[in-house]
Amino acid sequence: MGEALVIRDLSKRFGGLRAVQEVSFSVRENETLALIGPNGAGKTTSFNLITGFFRPDTGSITAFGREIVGLRPHDICAHGLARTFQVAKPFGAMTVLANVMTGAFLRDKRIEVAREKAREAIEFVGLSAKEGRPARDLTTIDQRRLEMARALATEPRLLLLDEVMAGLNPAEIDQAVALVGKLSQRGLTIVIVEHVMRAIMAVARHIVVLDHGQKIAEGSPREIVENPQVIRAYLGSGYAHASASEAR
Amino acid sequence: MKGKSFAALALCLGAVLLLALPLLLKSTFVLDIFIRILLFAFIGTAWNLMGGYAKQLSLGHVAYFGLGAYTSTILQVDFDISPWIGMVAGGIVAALASLPIGWLCFRLRGPYFTIATIATAQVLMLVFLKFRDFAWGAEGTTIPNLGNAPLMMQFEAKSAYYYVALGLLALGLAITFLIERSFIGYYLVAIGENEDAAEAIGVDAPRMKRDIYMISAFLTALAGTFYIQYIYFIDPATAFNFSISIEAALVSIVGGIGTLWGPVIGTVLLETTSALLQSWLGSRIGGIQLTVYSLILMAVILWRPTGIMGFLSELHAKHLRAEPAPKPEAA
Repeated sequence: MGEALVIRDLSKRFGGLRAVQEVSFSVRENETLALIGPNGAGKTTSFNLITGFFRPDTGSITAFGREIVGLRPHDICAHGLARTFQVAKPFGAMTVLANVMTGAFLRDKRIEVAREKAREAIEFVGLSAKEGRPARDLTTIDQRRLEMARALATEPRLLLLDEVMAGLNPAEIDQAVALVGKLSQRGLTIVIVEHVMRAIMAVARHIVVLDHGQKIAEGSPREIVENPQVIRAYLGSGYAHASASEAR
Repeated sequence: MKGKSFAALALCLGAVLLLALPLLLKSTFVLDIFIRILLFAFIGTAWNLMGGYAKQLSLGHVAYFGLGAYTSTILQVDFDISPWIGMVAGGIVAALASLPIGWLCFRLRGPYFTIATIATAQVLMLVFLKFRDFAWGAEGTTIPNLGNAPLMMQFEAKSAYYYVALGLLALGLAITFLIERSFIGYYLVAIGENEDAAEAIGVDAPRMKRDIYMISAFLTALAGTFYIQYIYFIDPATAFNFSISIEAALVSIVGGIGTLWGPVIGTVLLETTSALLQSWLGSRIGGIQLTVYSLILMAVILWRPTGIMGFLSELHAKHLRAEPAPKPEAA
């Protein structure tokens, strides 16, 4: 299996703040990788760098064999990288269906085709019953579902999910975990930023831990929960035993 | 399906009525009001493509109105070229001018964008005002009257101007209709709603904005040529009158931005009100009609910020909710 995403020595600073410092990691095709770390660790900044919303100061990002630093967000999306936003950004005045159709137009400009593809994506995330609603009327979880459907409609090879489970209740988290699992089974490569450790343990095969913009650890879920540095920086000392057993 | 055929019928009836209207009207005063309504509905429609669907609130559209007017007039007066050709030439000049203007203004978002568009229109007016050799300076010029010369866009019968304005509006509405129903319409609304989210799903927002600005500028310029031909006079204060920029935005906002019929409904409402107020009140107390007009405007914006069309579609949505299966889609 090839590498879907290779990140080398990525750095970005905002004034005096070094948001991301010489971070390197790679994602294999069809792998689900989780990016974790405390608030302000540089996870969302990394997403913005990968998807072209910020331009890195130094470093390189190669997606499916092509250097994508310097490309604009829509080019990167056309190259097969789709993302969701930490705070959902639906097109509020449009219906759910129109939102997702807008994503589908990337691959095919015909209305009928886009509508078909959009319906498929909407059904996949379980939003079919609400396809005629204006997006602004949706609940938080439904807006996240919509974001996912809209991203899926662009037919990505790599999906970047930014805290899609924040603010969901346990039952909803289970639904979301199942959804991510289904996406992975379809052959999608997934990079997920998440705070909900239970979800990460369930979906990720590989974890990268950021703290203060630096990578402090990388490995399988088991290795990560037992890593003393990660426990100190992020998980907290009470975590290790409880979650390690849960991960099994 | 039922609603669709009803809409088609209403459209046909409306078209027949509009075509027959000049034959029914005796008063040139009333015909003049109708010509103004058609013209401003057309300018509003052109503005609405960018200001309404993509929510890029320009208050500098008079720049293109003026460029269109001056291009065709210079071609006509200095080179004897028919305004019909000049009209298209003016549209092309305006579309080309929108490229550097857009390149500058689209770097800004929100109110800053709006201010920048105002500034560019003002600069253009000053250029035509100060450089006398270029186009008659502040004095302006009258258009040579050739009597009845349809090929030079001059008509004895006022009704002919009415039909030209009607044709322009039909063109603007047809273009809007096509755009609204294609992916471009979805892309424009998406950009207006959230530009970052649109970029993230593959929409080339700068390019879309540039293209729709060009189309909008082209159409606005056609209106400029027509207006100058209609009043037989041009000077910078007329061709670059700020109130035209305001009117273009206002009729769309009152009628409902980002809707096909919004600018038309808005113009009918505002122009009729202003004309009626003028004839009822104008002679009694100077300026009173402007005060009443402004009050009506404030009332609409306070109570129905989504415009008349927004109000109607809310009613429609309420009606739909009462039925078992709501109709999907609509951008």
